[in-house]
Amino acid sequence: MDSASRYLSMEKPDKADHLWRYTPWKKVHPTGNLSEIPTLGKPKISLGIIDGSDLPSGIELKQGDVEEPDFSMSSSLTNSFLHASAEGSQWKLVVDKGFSSEKPVILDVETDDLPSVAHISLEIGKMSEFELITRVTGHSEWFGLLRTGQIQDGAVVNDVVIGLLDRGTMLRSDSIEICRDAQVRAGTVSSGSERTKSDLRYIMSEAGGNIRVLGSILSAESMHLDHHIEIHHEAPETFSRLSWHSACGGSSRTIGTGMLTISEGSKGADAAQIFHNLLLSKSAEADSIPELEVMENEVVGCGHGTANGPIDEEQMFYLKARGFDEDDAKRSLIAAFLNSTLSEMGGKSLHEWLVSELTLQLEALDA
Amino acid sequence: MEENSDARGAVGEYKAGWHDPEKSTIRFDFGLSEEVVREISNLKDEPRWMTEIRVKAFKHFSKRKMPTWGNMSMLEEIDFDKICYYLRSSESTKKDWDDVPEDIRNTFERLGIPEAEQKWLSGVTAQYESEAVYHSIREDLESQGVIFLDMDSGLREYPDLVKKWFCSVVPYSDNKFSALNTAVWSGGSFIYVPEGVHVEMPVQAYFRINAKNMGQFERTLIIADKGSSIHYVEGCTAPTYSTDSLHSAIVELIALPGSHIRYSTIQNWSSNVYNLVTKRGIAHEKAKIEWVDGNIGSKLTMKYPAVILKGEGSHAEVISVAYSGAGQHQDAGAKIHHLASNTTSKILSKSISKNGGRGSYRGMVTVSPKADNCKLNVVCDALILDEGSRSDTYPTMEVANSTARCEHEASVSKVSDEQLFYLMSRGHSEEESLAMIVNGFFEPFTRELPMEYAVELNQLMALEMEGSIG
Repeated sequence: MDSASRYLSMEKPDKADHLWRYTPWKKVHPTGNLSEIPTLGKPKISLGIIDGSDLPSGIELKQGDVEEPDFSMSSSLTNSFLHASAEGSQWKLVVDKGFSSEKPVILDVETDDLPSVAHISLEIGKMSEFELITRVTGHSEWFGLLRTGQIQDGAVVNDVVIGLLDRGTMLRSDSIEICRDAQVRAGTVSSGSERTKSDLRYIMSEAGGNIRVLGSILSAESMHLDHHIEIHHEAPETFSRLSWHSACGGSSRTIGTGMLTISEGSKGADAAQIFHNLLLSKSAEADSIPELEVMENEVVGCGHGTANGPIDEEQMFYLKARGFDEDDAKRSLIAAFLNSTLSEMGGKSLHEWLVSELTLQLEALDA
Repeated sequence: MEENSDARGAVGEYKAGWHDPEKSTIRFDFGLSEEVVREISNLKDEPRWMTEIRVKAFKHFSKRKMPTWGNMSMLEEIDFDKICYYLRSSESTKKDWDDVPEDIRNTFERLGIPEAEQKWLSGVTAQYESEAVYHSIREDLESQGVIFLDMDSGLREYPDLVKKWFCSVVPYSDNKFSALNTAVWSGGSFIYVPEGVHVEMPVQAYFRINAKNMGQFERTLIIADKGSSIHYVEGCTAPTYSTDSLHSAIVELIALPGSHIRYSTIQNWSSNVYNLVTKRGIAHEKAKIEWVDGNIGSKLTMKYPAVILKGEGSHAEVISVAYSGAGQHQDAGAKIHHLASNTTSKILSKSISKNGGRGSYRGMVTVSPKADNCKLNVVCDALILDEGSRSDTYPTMEVANSTARCEHEASVSKVSDEQLFYLMSRGHSEEESLAMIVNGFFEPFTRELPMEYAVELNQLMALEMEGSIG
């Protein structure tokens, strides 16, 4: 059965389905007609280095058919829909074994006004070492991004997706397998679209996998940003940390749901997840559901936490006593709050680039 | 007897697993229909409004789908057509233990209820199958206006009070099992504590299922008037059969301004009982509701004691422990809704999984936009003692007010080798050391229990830990 037939044959989820509780599929679907897979446009995608220098050899973006991946560990509804609708807009990012780049690589995804979709398959070779930024920009009223693939043995990858659509809805789904001894930092910076639904799944299928999932989420006005993150420990001696920071202003709503599973036999697994929400205005709302399913007793540790609160009055007082005005002090504290995860996403140059992008967003927020 | 020993093999050792020969004065056929619902109401000679609410609830139950979350495979095993919805073993509720039929009295004597009453309780109600068989309250409390009755007597003697509050906290349409309970409820406790009265010693209800394939659907309603306080203790057991029974209760608590209700439960159903219970309280201004909830037995428990913090300055606490052994799934948790300003809440959940058991914490905390300066704290700790056991945590936190301070933390771990080594190096066996660590793990819960219960729980856990090593 192909993706389209599979999607059409599926029972559509209702609100009782945990994944769709806060952002129903009907609101995310590009037309709202759930039995339709509409024809969507394709964005412009280009690969480069963040400072504009030449791309080293060993990394290539190819357009062409991507075989339907195994979606057994992911939301087959979203993924079948995105895979089917991305026919003609499928790409492979192929990274050779042992590839290395000191400067971050940027995958620019530019949308125009029309609804569009892309499926990018990551084929990250063994022992490669680099930083990848996927930046989504443009004015599309609806954009779907499906990222699938494998980070192979021993690779060390910082993979950051930054969503800067200036309107509309973004549906993102990641289903990434992390192989033996691979080390991954998966960052998400979200501060764009009016509505975001993302479903990020990382499967550590082989021993020694290591992942840090980090989120810096800034929402304002009436934005609705819903991120679901799943980390599956399917092998021994696997390590994961999830740290998700959301700053929520205006009448916006952020949702952070996590599912951490330790399957039987994943001895020595070490996992933790934490959601922090900073509520900036009276009518903002932040929801968190950090879930755990542990089926192995020989674990190093497994925990989660969530904390919600307003801007700390003492910190405000401290900054104001040192000459900051109210707005500057508030802005600095928000930036520091988001920076605590941003600074973990990569090396110095990646961090500086992300800070500059986020500063623009904070300024836009003030304006 | 043979059947009983087979069943024991299947579900493990269980102290209260014996049963008496079934002697019923009225026993309904298996299965549920509108006729059964009307017949229960008719038998109890209830007012018309109660019959109507039962029928409405039955219709809702028939239409309502089973939950699409939780342990759906276990839930699907419930066959509503193979359950007896009403069984009466005694003609009336007695006020003297000597008047209770001998076999039933023996049951409760083996469970230690009359002895406990003499020593440390203000009142006792004992329910056997569908009806309360014994009921008493201390005279001094009665003279102060405290009402402590079984629910059927409460409805007969105080119909207006019951009508005012019945279904006011848990509407029958809340969930499938609240609809079922409202349709066929029988027994339970009805308590009213007048303004300013403090019931110093706890009152206790003890629920016992004796018959096979029995459904027990008690309904408890506690109203604490302004500035009053009460501590209610509930215990539950059932025999070990190879077929399943269903316990689906509703508890509604109303804490009026400045009052305090503490509701403690030690659920030790045999591991062939489905324990699907809805417990919820409403706290008005400066009132306090505490749920102290121990889940040791049952096959599947789905129970999430809830508090609606409706009045400014009200407070809620839920302290729970769960032990999941072979074939058991304890899906327990808590729900707290902060609807008013300056409300505070605390949830502490501890669970242990062993011999392939599964323990789940499922909780929800919400802060509404109008509730300023709320504080809440949720802590869940779980221990997995062996391979094949499982622990899950499903917390939900919805915060719609920027002044709220909310914290949640959870951890799942195994028993620390260092702690075991420390205790063993001081001369304890590995088994004793493990039992001590487990009792220590449960200590924040046991210290909230009346002493007799705490001692009993520690002994129970030590028994459960036997044979854990090697």
